[in-house]
Amino acid sequence: MGLLATGTPLEWPEAKKVAGHVRQWGIEQLLAIWNKAKGKERDALLWGDEIEYLVVSFDEEKRRVVLSLRQADILEALASDAELLRQGGGVPDIQTGDKKHGKVAPTFHPEFGRFMLEATPGAPWGIGFKDLLDVESDMKWRREIAKQHMYAWEYPITMTNFPMLGDRKSILPWFPPSGSRLRSQFVPDEIANPHIRFPTLAANIRARRGRKVELNVPVFHDEKTVWPFKDPTVDYDLHDWPEDDDVRNGAAKENHIYMDAMAFGMGTCCLQITFQAKNIEEGRKMYDQLSPLGPILLALTAATPIYKGFLANTDVRWNQISRAVDDRTPEELGEKPLKNDRWRIPKSRYASNSTYISQDPRLRREYLDPDLVYDPEIKTRLMEGGMDDLLASHFAHLFIRDPIVVFNEDLKNLDLDKNDHFENLQSTNWQHMRFKPPPTGSDIGWRVEVRPMEIQITDFENAAFSVFVVLITRAILSLDLNFYLPIQRTTENMETAHHRDAVLNDKFYFRKDPMPRRQARTNGASNPPSGANTPRLQPTRPDSPFGPVEDEYELMTVDEIINGKADSVFPGLIPLVESYLDSVNVDVETRCELAQYLNLIKGRANGSLWTAAKWIRHFVRSHEKYGMDSVVSEEVAYDVVKAAERITEQEGRDGFAKEMMGECRQQS
Amino acid sequence: MKLILSTSNIMGAGSSIRRSTKSKSNSELISSLRSNFEAHYTTTNGLSNGDAKPVKANYEVWTNRKENCLEVPALEFADSALQEEREQYDITSKLFYLPGAKIAEREKQTREALDLVLQDLHMPSVDLLIVSFPGIYFDEEEDCPDKISTRGPVESEPETMQSQIETWKVLEKLYEEGLVKKLGVAELGHDRLLSFLDRTQIKPSVDQINLRDCCSVPKDLMALAKSRSVELLVHNDCSNILPRGTTRELLGPGEGGAGVLAEPTKTGDKRKSLHGEESTNGDAPGGDALRGEVQPQWVVKYTAVVKNRGVVENKGYFAVAEVVE
Repeated sequence: MGLLATGTPLEWPEAKKVAGHVRQWGIEQLLAIWNKAKGKERDALLWGDEIEYLVVSFDEEKRRVVLSLRQADILEALASDAELLRQGGGVPDIQTGDKKHGKVAPTFHPEFGRFMLEATPGAPWGIGFKDLLDVESDMKWRREIAKQHMYAWEYPITMTNFPMLGDRKSILPWFPPSGSRLRSQFVPDEIANPHIRFPTLAANIRARRGRKVELNVPVFHDEKTVWPFKDPTVDYDLHDWPEDDDVRNGAAKENHIYMDAMAFGMGTCCLQITFQAKNIEEGRKMYDQLSPLGPILLALTAATPIYKGFLANTDVRWNQISRAVDDRTPEELGEKPLKNDRWRIPKSRYASNSTYISQDPRLRREYLDPDLVYDPEIKTRLMEGGMDDLLASHFAHLFIRDPIVVFNEDLKNLDLDKNDHFENLQSTNWQHMRFKPPPTGSDIGWRVEVRPMEIQITDFENAAFSVFVVLITRAILSLDLNFYLPIQRTTENMETAHHRDAVLNDKFYFRKDPMPRRQARTNGASNPPSGANTPRLQPTRPDSPFGPVEDEYELMTVDEIINGKADSVFPGLIPLVESYLDSVNVDVETRCELAQYLNLIKGRANGSLWTAAKWIRHFVRSHEKYGMDSVVSEEVAYDVVKAAERITEQEGRDGFAKEMMGECRQQS
Repeated sequence: MKLILSTSNIMGAGSSIRRSTKSKSNSELISSLRSNFEAHYTTTNGLSNGDAKPVKANYEVWTNRKENCLEVPALEFADSALQEEREQYDITSKLFYLPGAKIAEREKQTREALDLVLQDLHMPSVDLLIVSFPGIYFDEEEDCPDKISTRGPVESEPETMQSQIETWKVLEKLYEEGLVKKLGVAELGHDRLLSFLDRTQIKPSVDQINLRDCCSVPKDLMALAKSRSVELLVHNDCSNILPRGTTRELLGPGEGGAGVLAEPTKTGDKRKSLHGEESTNGDAPGGDALRGEVQPQWVVKYTAVVKNRGVVENKGYFAVAEVVE
């Protein structure tokens, strides 16, 4: 999350009135950036990871764990740590420490949840292979620094979701639910970061939507679960706010765990990676090629089996965040005929992406979403401004949304040297891939953000997945790989990734043959001899070696996608990465470290190592205090979080959680 | 007759993928040679009709003969292969001296190999030149069955240290001429590396070893490398990267062969009747395939990596073999 702008935020009906204004200015800012940066060339690969933490507070005597709402205090402590500042770290939002000295210390950032922290490396990573080995130790350093600025009984845990969030109890200090901003019957307004942006975001999403957000997660049907399951924690008799009617109007679905606030989604932790591309073309190519990998990465990192004290029948957080920020009106959702709104919108602002943007000859029209919703006037304006059809469609698609948080002070003058209005829309479109133009007034290039992964319990795993994604991008660019498939299949894959143990039991649409191909030429005699350079051979049929799109892809297991498919041309992502590594000079120690990371991913894919979702679910179901009824009690939750802490510290070296960690860390 | 075999840039040609860690590690070279030959000899013989069956063009159409040397396929260095400036790249080449080749001609072989690489990349120098001597495996006594299986056929005993040191002098010359910035060796264990370090003027700065799945480097080797500033790099090649039999198969008349070499039998009539159909390209002069025994001499592998982006922009192989009647 970037720097937090501030000012006087507009309440919903007011913000709605200026939405067109903000969009228009945002588009002008985008065009200014585009014209300035479209020719930017030869940027190095720089990349960064973002780790999000839950701050938990243990009471060892009572065997209780709660969320600590001390984000502000902890950030304040971090921001005033002289030693941290001297090393270039700190909290950019509060004050900047720019005295760089040796290794740059990590930086910390606020997040939506008042119980969350985000930490990033102090300086971006490069592609020196030794850099790749620094990632994990930097992550460990971050956790250590964060821990040092907490109470002894607090811990920065990297679980996606706090198992008891929304039980009306497990927060410290405690506040009663049902505040004016969130109007949630489960969590208080104080659950959100008090910075004006966050409560406004939550309140305006609710107001735009016309009711509270609605999250229904299928409950895990265990042996003794009362069936049909009616979420026993829902209070149908509240009358504080008009939105209290939601549950009486059927918001809580049978056989589902019901949640009603942005905090249930935006309060979960992700692992995100951002890359700088060489130029805009490479950025557009990476955006497209990484998109089909998103659902696979989501399934592989699955870590979210518990919500609000119940075992869920899904393994990942994605759809819950999607629903937690879904500001669509009944008209946009298709529940009512269109009258005031402009269009029906099939996806939440937080969803899998719907566009391909690369000007790549391999991008077939059939891969694009034929029903893509976009604002035709904005598209026209962007194309008048010189932008090409594909990219103009992409931004005109993002700009179908309203800005949610608008500061009154920002509406006075349009400043084309800033990007605030553009970012207002851009950064509240939380798609699984994000294409990021260079920020104004900096030397940063075009970037791509990979957003689907769930945070992992250990820094080892988080480093492994980060490095894996980096290596995959290098393999894509070096080997000229092609993962294109119709983008609707990726949307479907994203749903599939939610299934319990999808990584083991489900199949995902994936391109059969990602390899580029030499083409035979028409007639050996009539062509000039071509030799050691890339052969400029004519295709047998002018540029149409294309069969039906449906023949290009098939259903594969995650194991096949990651480790390769026997008896087929599909090599597997890990063998592709290994082929890439075989083509570059890597020293033995680095290669052996990288092998540990790749082994973890191989193991997760082939099932020999469990995902955190599977492990936590198994831990709960094996717990002596679990009644086989889907209910995760406070006592069980305490043991779950304690177990996560132990795994974070031991990484399986003590034999604990070896089902998940395997032997990965045994030798080191 | 000397044959120069080339793969052209195999990045983006789809043939460089290691299928599994168990697969033979010269498969990249073999499959990329094969696919480059195929791309050159396959013609549909009818231009626009997509239904035309591909047929194999006579080798004389797509190779280039210069005196006693045949380029397979014809070489062309007209276009610059790399997009960026020299300093943007890390260029590595690795020269495999093959078993059974003429040791006396090492200087000529080495210069020719480097020259082909520099011509192809349009670059004045390479950053690192690694040499691999036949019959040397650093993991001789180690317990790692995977490695043993990837050596390729053993066609030779290791040559003497004296002979290797003689060859090294050639590399030192290239270094002094500025054509190579760093020198490296491959597969040297502790003892051999120590001898090398003691007996050479320009010391190897790299020792490239094959680890496969076994991530255990002998401690003495690790210590030696650290103390003498030799970087231990990982590779996945087998030393006997281009065995005789494989070469004959690649170039021979059989299915998937390039049709450059004739059947090893002396019965020419039989050969013609068997394979007459494959060389029916009307435009092509019907040249006879080469006869004789093929003896691979050396292989050079080269890679150009954009340093600050980690992207492999160009990778390929040249190989030279002699055909002796």
